[in-house]
Amino acid sequence: MLIIKDLHASVGDKPILKGINLTVKAGEVHAIMGPNGSGKSTLSNVLAGRENVTVTSGSIDYLGHDLLALEVEERAREGVFLAFQYPVEIPGVGNVYLLKAALNAQRKHRGLPELDAMDFLALVKDKMKLMEMSESMLYRAVNEGFSGGEKKRNEILQMAVLEPRLAILDETDSGLDIDALKVVANGVNSLRHPERSMILVTHYQRLLDYIKPDYVHVLAGGRIVRSGGPELAHELEKQGYAWVGDGQSGQEVSSGS
Amino acid sequence: MSMAIAHYQSEFERLGALLPWQGSSQWQLWRQEGLAHFAAQGFPSTRQEEWKYTSLTALEKLALSCAPGDSAPPVWESLEGHVLLPRARHRLVFVDGVFQPALSRLESLPPGVRVRPLSAVPAQDSAPLQAQLQAIRSRTPFTALNAAFMTEGVWVSASPGACLDEPMMVLYVTTGGGRAHHLVNAYDLGAGACLTVVEQYLGLAQDPYFVNQVTGVQLAAGAQLTHLKLQQEGARSYHIGALQAVQQGDSRLESHAFALSGAFGRNDLETALHEPGAAVVMNGLYRVNGREFQDFHTCIRHESPDCTSDEYFKGVLDGSGRAVFNGKIVVAQDAQHTASRQSNHNLLLSDQAEVDTKPQLEIFADDVKCSHGATVGQLDEDQWFYLRSRGLESDHARALLIEAFALELLSGIGDTGLRAAMDQLLRGRSHG
Ligand SMILES: Nc1ncnc2c1ncn2[C@@H]1O[C@H](COP(=O)(O)OP(=O)(O)OP(=O)(O)O)[C@@H](O)[C@H]1O
Ligand SMILES: [Mg+2]
Repeated sequence: MLIIKDLHASVGDKPILKGINLTVKAGEVHAIMGPNGSGKSTLSNVLAGRENVTVTSGSIDYLGHDLLALEVEERAREGVFLAFQYPVEIPGVGNVYLLKAALNAQRKHRGLPELDAMDFLALVKDKMKLMEMSESMLYRAVNEGFSGGEKKRNEILQMAVLEPRLAILDETDSGLDIDALKVVANGVNSLRHPERSMILVTHYQRLLDYIKPDYVHVLAGGRIVRSGGPELAHELEKQGYAWVGDGQSGQEVSSGS
Repeated sequence: MSMAIAHYQSEFERLGALLPWQGSSQWQLWRQEGLAHFAAQGFPSTRQEEWKYTSLTALEKLALSCAPGDSAPPVWESLEGHVLLPRARHRLVFVDGVFQPALSRLESLPPGVRVRPLSAVPAQDSAPLQAQLQAIRSRTPFTALNAAFMTEGVWVSASPGACLDEPMMVLYVTTGGGRAHHLVNAYDLGAGACLTVVEQYLGLAQDPYFVNQVTGVQLAAGAQLTHLKLQQEGARSYHIGALQAVQQGDSRLESHAFALSGAFGRNDLETALHEPGAAVVMNGLYRVNGREFQDFHTCIRHESPDCTSDEYFKGVLDGSGRAVFNGKIVVAQDAQHTASRQSNHNLLLSDQAEVDTKPQLEIFADDVKCSHGATVGQLDEDQWFYLRSRGLESDHARALLIEAFALELLSGIGDTGLRAAMDQLLRGRSHG
C-alpha cells in the first residue's frame, strides 16, 4: 500500500524529516508516537501533499504510484485521507456541501455516477449515527464554532463518508473526552478493512486500547527510532521517550513488516 | 475650458428644452445651476484628495449623448434571468434611460405609498421632489451634472406609518453604448413608514456608456429603509453614483451596495444622523477583475447624540483590478454616546491587483465608542489545503473560499428573501 523510503523533508530551510523508512501493507494499522515537534504532523502533511513542506530526497510509493507526483486533490481522490490534528474552520462553506462535493469528486474520478441529494443524505445520516453526531452539524459551516471534540468527530465523519484506502489520523484522540474517544474509536474500527490501511498518530496508549495497532513506531528527531508491536506503546507510556533516543544518534531501526 | 465641459454645455443647448418639467421656471433654474456648478468645477482630477486614486481622463474624453436611448427595449423573458427579484410584485424597469411600462408592474400598493417614474410626474406635482433633492448636501461635479440633465428615475413617497411589506425592484438596463444616463431616485419616508428597495444596474452593452445616478433619501422619525444597490455594469462602462440620506430620530437606514462588475465605478454614500436614536447599517462589496476599478467613498455624519452606525465593506480583488475604500466618520461635538463601527476587509487574489483603503475619523465628541479596522489579505492557505485534501479541484476550492468571504456580508441583510436572492447570485450556481 505505502512504501516510504529514506524520506527527507524541510519546512523552509529547516530539515524536519531526516530519513523516514516505513512500509504499510493493506489492512494494517500503524501507530506513530513520539515527542512534540518530532515531525509526526510533518510526515502526515507530506503524505497529504502540503506544499509548504519540501521533500528534499527519498520516495513514497502508494499503490504502485509515485505519491509525490500527485496533486493534493488527486491524492484525496485516489484514497488518501488525512484527519487533521487541527481541523481548520471555514466559515461560509457548508459542512454538508463539502461532504457532497468531496464524495462526488471522488466518484467522478472513479468513473461512478454522482450521488443525488436523496441518496447522499441517506448515506451521510447513516454515518452520522455511527459518529453520534447531531444532524444539525451538517447545516453549519465547516468546523465553524465546533468544539475541539466535535471537530475531531467531523474529521472521522468525512473519513467514513469518503472511505479512503489510506487514512492518516493525526492526534484524532487529543481533546476527546472518554465517551467521545470511544465513539471515535468505534467509528474508526468500523472502517477497518483488509483493503484499508491506517496510520494513527497519537501520544496516548489509551487510543490504542480501543484501536489495536499492528505496529507501533517511535518518531524522534525526524526519524523512526524504534518499531515494534503494541507492547511498545505500553513501554512508552511507562518510561517516556528518554530511553529511545532523540533520533540524532543515528540508530537505524527497521520498520514494521 | 476643457473639451468635456464644452461638450456637456452643447448637449444642454441641444436637449435642454426636451428635459422634463422645463416648462417650470424652478426646474429651469435648477438645471442651469447644476450645469453652471459642473462647468465651474469640471471633471475632478487626481490632484484632488477625494479623487486621488480615481482617474477620469478616459471618461472625460468620451463625447456621450445625454439623450435617452431610442432602440426597442428587450423583452422581459430575455431580462428575467438577470433580475435579482424577478417575481417582485412591484417593479419599475428603465431601458437606456427610458421608463418601460410594459416591463414594469405595480400591483396593489398599500394606501399611503406612492411610486412613480419621474416621467409620470406632472410639472405641477414636482415641487416636493425638487425640495427633497435640494436637501442633498454634498455637491460633486457629478451630482451637479445630474441636476442639469436628469431625465428619469423613481420617486417613492410613503406617508406616515405606510409600509410596503415586500421588496420593490427598480431595474436600470443599459443595452447600447455612446450615451450618458442621468438618473434620480428619491425615497421619502414619513414618520414610521417603511420600504425595502433594490436598485439594480444591469449593463448589457459592450460599448462605453456612462450611468450617473443620484439617490436621495429622507427618513422621518422612526422610518425604516432597506436599500440594496446592485451594480452589474458592462465591460466598458462608467458608473458614478451618489446616495445621500438624512435621518431623523430613531430612523433606520440599511444600505447594501454591491459593485460586482463594470470597468469603472465610483460611489459616494453619505448619511446624516440628524436626530437622536438614528441608526445606519452601511455595508458593501466590491469585486474587481481584469482591469476593473471600483471606488467607494462613504461618509457617516453623527450629528446628534445616541446614534449608531455600523459599516462593513469587503473587497475581492483579482487580475489587475483596483479598488479604493475611503470611510469617513464625522462625530459632531454634541453627538455624545455615539456608537460607530467600521471595518473593511480585502481579499487580494493576484499580485497585480491593488487596493487603497483608508478610514477617516473626525471625532469632536468625547463620550463615544468608535472602532475601525482594515485588512488586506490573501486566500487562507490552510483552508484551501483543507478543501483540496478532501478531493475538491483547486479552482473549485478557491472559488468556494472567495464566495465564503463575500457571503459573510449577507448576514447583515434583514430581509430574508433578499438575502437568499443575493446568496444565490454571489454563489453563481446552485448548491446541492
Ligand atoms: N510552517 C512551519 N514553519 C516552521 N517550522 C515548522 C513549520 N511546521 C512545522 N515546523 C517545525 O517542524 C517540527 C515538527 O513539527 P510537527 O508539527 O511535525 O511535530 P509533531 O511531531 O506533529 O508535534 P506534536 O506532537 O506537537 O503535534 C517542529 O519543530 C515545528 O516547529
Ligand atoms: Mg502534530
